[in-house]
Amino acid sequence: MSEGATSMRERHEGADMEKEDVVLRVDDLQKRFGGLVATDHASFAVERGTITGLIGPNGAGKSTIFNLISGFYEPDGGRVEVNGIDVTGREPYEIADAGLIRTFQTPRKLEGMTVREAMLVGPRKQPGESFVKLFTDPEGVAAAESANLAEAQRILEEFEIDHLATQPATDISGGQMKLVELARAMLADPEILLLDEPVAGVNPTLRNDLAEQIRRLNEQGTTFCIIEHDMEFVMKLADPVVVLNQGNVLMEGPPDAVQTDERVIDAYLGGDA
Amino acid sequence: MSWLTDPVGEFTDLTRAEQGVTLFVVAFAAFLFIGLLSGGLGPSYFLFLVGLASMYALLSLGLNSQWGFTGLINFSVAAFFGIGAYGTVLLSASSSPVREALLDAGVPGVLLNPVVGLVVAIVVAGLIAVAIGIPTLRLRADYLAIASLGLAEVIRLIVLNQQDWTNGSAGVRGIPSFFVGWPVLSDFPSAMPEVVVDLVPGGSVTLSPPLIDWGLTFGQDIVLGTPFWRALLNVSLVLVFLGASYGVLRRVHRSPWGRVLRTIRADEDLARALGKDTYSFKMQSFVLGSLVMALAGVFYAHLNLYVSPGDLDPITTFYVWVAVILGGSGSNRGALFGGFVVVAIREGTRFFSDLGSIIFDVGSTEVVISLGIEGGPMRLLLIGVIIVVLMRFRPEGLLPPQRELIWPGTVDEVPEGPDVGVRDARGGTDE
Amino acid sequence: MPLLEYLANGLIFSSIIVLGSIGLSLVYSIADFANFAHGDTMTIGAYTALLTFGAIGSLGGAVLGLPFGFFVALLAGIAVAALVAVVTERVVYKPMDVGSIGMLITSIGIAFIYRAILQLRFGADFTRYDVQTLRPIEWLIPYGIRITEHDVAIVLSAAILVTGLHLLLQYTDLGRKMRAMADNPELARVSGIRTDRVKLWTWVIGAGLAGAGGVFLGLYNQLSPRMGFSLLLLIFAAVILGGIGSVYGAMLGGFLIGMINQLMPILTDYGIPIGIEYANAVAFVIMVAVLLVRPNGIMGEAT
Repeated sequence: MSEGATSMRERHEGADMEKEDVVLRVDDLQKRFGGLVATDHASFAVERGTITGLIGPNGAGKSTIFNLISGFYEPDGGRVEVNGIDVTGREPYEIADAGLIRTFQTPRKLEGMTVREAMLVGPRKQPGESFVKLFTDPEGVAAAESANLAEAQRILEEFEIDHLATQPATDISGGQMKLVELARAMLADPEILLLDEPVAGVNPTLRNDLAEQIRRLNEQGTTFCIIEHDMEFVMKLADPVVVLNQGNVLMEGPPDAVQTDERVIDAYLGGDA
Repeated sequence: MSWLTDPVGEFTDLTRAEQGVTLFVVAFAAFLFIGLLSGGLGPSYFLFLVGLASMYALLSLGLNSQWGFTGLINFSVAAFFGIGAYGTVLLSASSSPVREALLDAGVPGVLLNPVVGLVVAIVVAGLIAVAIGIPTLRLRADYLAIASLGLAEVIRLIVLNQQDWTNGSAGVRGIPSFFVGWPVLSDFPSAMPEVVVDLVPGGSVTLSPPLIDWGLTFGQDIVLGTPFWRALLNVSLVLVFLGASYGVLRRVHRSPWGRVLRTIRADEDLARALGKDTYSFKMQSFVLGSLVMALAGVFYAHLNLYVSPGDLDPITTFYVWVAVILGGSGSNRGALFGGFVVVAIREGTRFFSDLGSIIFDVGSTEVVISLGIEGGPMRLLLIGVIIVVLMRFRPEGLLPPQRELIWPGTVDEVPEGPDVGVRDARGGTDE
Repeated sequence: MPLLEYLANGLIFSSIIVLGSIGLSLVYSIADFANFAHGDTMTIGAYTALLTFGAIGSLGGAVLGLPFGFFVALLAGIAVAALVAVVTERVVYKPMDVGSIGMLITSIGIAFIYRAILQLRFGADFTRYDVQTLRPIEWLIPYGIRITEHDVAIVLSAAILVTGLHLLLQYTDLGRKMRAMADNPELARVSGIRTDRVKLWTWVIGAGLAGAGGVFLGLYNQLSPRMGFSLLLLIFAAVILGGIGSVYGAMLGGFLIGMINQLMPILTDYGIPIGIEYANAVAFVIMVAVLLVRPNGIMGEAT
């Protein structure tokens, strides 16, 4: 590619930061690995109730941004806000407490657990997660566990995978695992859910299932921010779409506008070089 | 639960491994029973072995709650064991320099008893666990392995070299019974009458060639004197420790707390992403296991009545590792089983290496068996081979945790049909 | 104050630690597990040299107070340590699928097997090489340095080996691939490096250097089946100090840990009541301190 990073940046109009009800605000985020700039003053905002897509060519820094937002990496500079709370540089669990939950590209299977057991890891602030309460308040623990189990069962039914409940988590397919992961994340009761390539390696049928579930959950009030390589999937689901390139936000817009934008096409073609 | 009513049905319901383990346990118990009846195995020594096995089971439970639950690699089992042992004896043993210093400082002697020693040992073990956890539990799992091996060495060096506290390599003697000063139990062994068990009235029965290949005499009188009662008391003590620890660990293992630990073991990032403070959970798991190990050390001191730096030898740590891996990482019952197997290995190799000279003619429980002495190379070889073979061919161990672990009473319906690999919670009373 | 003497001893001991830590670091980063059998690999080298030297004798002449036969024994120690490690890797580690933690635990078992076999053959007692015990070098004594020609031989041989490794890493194809793999195994794999072959050579080089370190340790102190396992902690401390995965870091870490170990008497000289019996403990405390301040390797793990 002939243009250097600087000239590229000049053409960046960036994201729309003037939104009404913002759940997640990323402001001027920076991250360097050695000499490599992975995130280069990236800013964008996710409005409540949307499904925001995050796309960009390989190496655009999508996964890095997710890791920075969710607390798995510490940013070198910039600011992350969830629900108006500054969570920059916090631990992942503190960010989860602020209402942001994320999933992973390749979910590892929880060995020795059944699907519903794996689901039960989801709910936050379970009384049974306190060692002391196991002995001082076993009834309370049991009550919460029953409630969580019922909730897990309900969500599995909504996802139409309740037949898997007592299967070993290691025995289900990768696509089913992705569904379970999404279902489990819902048990954590997130206000915003970050999905890292939810349909990578998933067959077309399950892909449609996932899309449907995401849309349904969104209608019920969950905000989504999705990284995805599968353009068709993103463009069908997300609005708006934020385009990243070289660690920086190139532009933001509705799917149609993004798909036809020359800079985006340039970036994708350039990404191959 | 229904073992009494339908043993055959229950047996066929077990996995192959469980059947094997059950047969092994039954055969081993029968072997010991024959030993007892034939007089080849003194009852006091038998109880001493049971005590030792229970102690290893306790250590294994402790390690299991770190490695098995959470995936924490602790190579300082021997150190926490030593902290437990030294913690109690430094306070209560007559030859302890620390006790003397405290007495000189005006601390009433009645306070310096084994129970206070136990509390002190537990507290110290907990503090040291926290101190080693702070720098390592945020890092990759293998850092804890290396750091904990180092910690074990530091503790061993301190115990060996701070003679003004620990008597150094001379060790600590003059350890009272755990129950010293207790009503009734303090004098129980000497107050009990001598009992003579005469299984075959008026003589004995000898099975010998050509009836069987080797001679076996049954029914000599078995004399149960003070050493027996003392051993019985010791075994009761360790069974209380063991029962309490097992009860606590089983409860926490199947709780949401234990579930977070198991998630950390499988995928720590997942647990973090779901809002769990994994550092805190790992710390709790590490401290909990260390306390159980210290408890085993406390018991050992009052069983063996002599404690020396040799008891902190790293080999003890790896015996316990073998027990946990063999039993099945993450499985409490596996840890119990592994603990007993390790004692069988230890005593078995002792038996074979001393073959010809060893006779179980021990009439007293005060047999000094130092755990730490560099066992024969055969034993080392055996331990090494077991580790490698297990990791290569059956890393999940013999009795991996198999039941779904959900808080008891929450799951009422039993799912239909056998789910391969994971069996259903069945009320869970028979784990 | 015999500072010069401490430094000289530090240099000798460092040479041994460096040889051990390079191999451990290489295997750690390229085979991706903490190899607890590394110390016992050193022991294998030492005892192989003992056997070989006993069999072939001195072979005439001598350099630096060491008969030619001893150098042949050194080569044998290196070769056998490397061979044993490679066979172990092929028979045990390679077919395993238990992750790096499972490998770590397996390596403990391997360590015990090595040590048990040596102990069965040679007994648990201390032994020495059958070389003449030397007097300290005359002209150094006025400076307060009491070291023998053997010590000089250890430092020189280690220097030659380390220089050789440096040349290999910098100027050969294999070396470049090894560095690439140590830096980023994933990347090396996709960029078409035949990782299997590189791994094999890593074991050869790592275990070979360990074998040499073991021979020198036996010459510097004595031989016993526990010698390697006892040194393992110091070597780990060196590797962590230098940063896992960095060969040059391991050299630096080994040098520092060796020096600190031998400089311990200074503490008592200055009235700090920590005796030399705590030398290993101090190395460990330094290691933990390093982990607290600069926990290398924690970054980038999250992906």
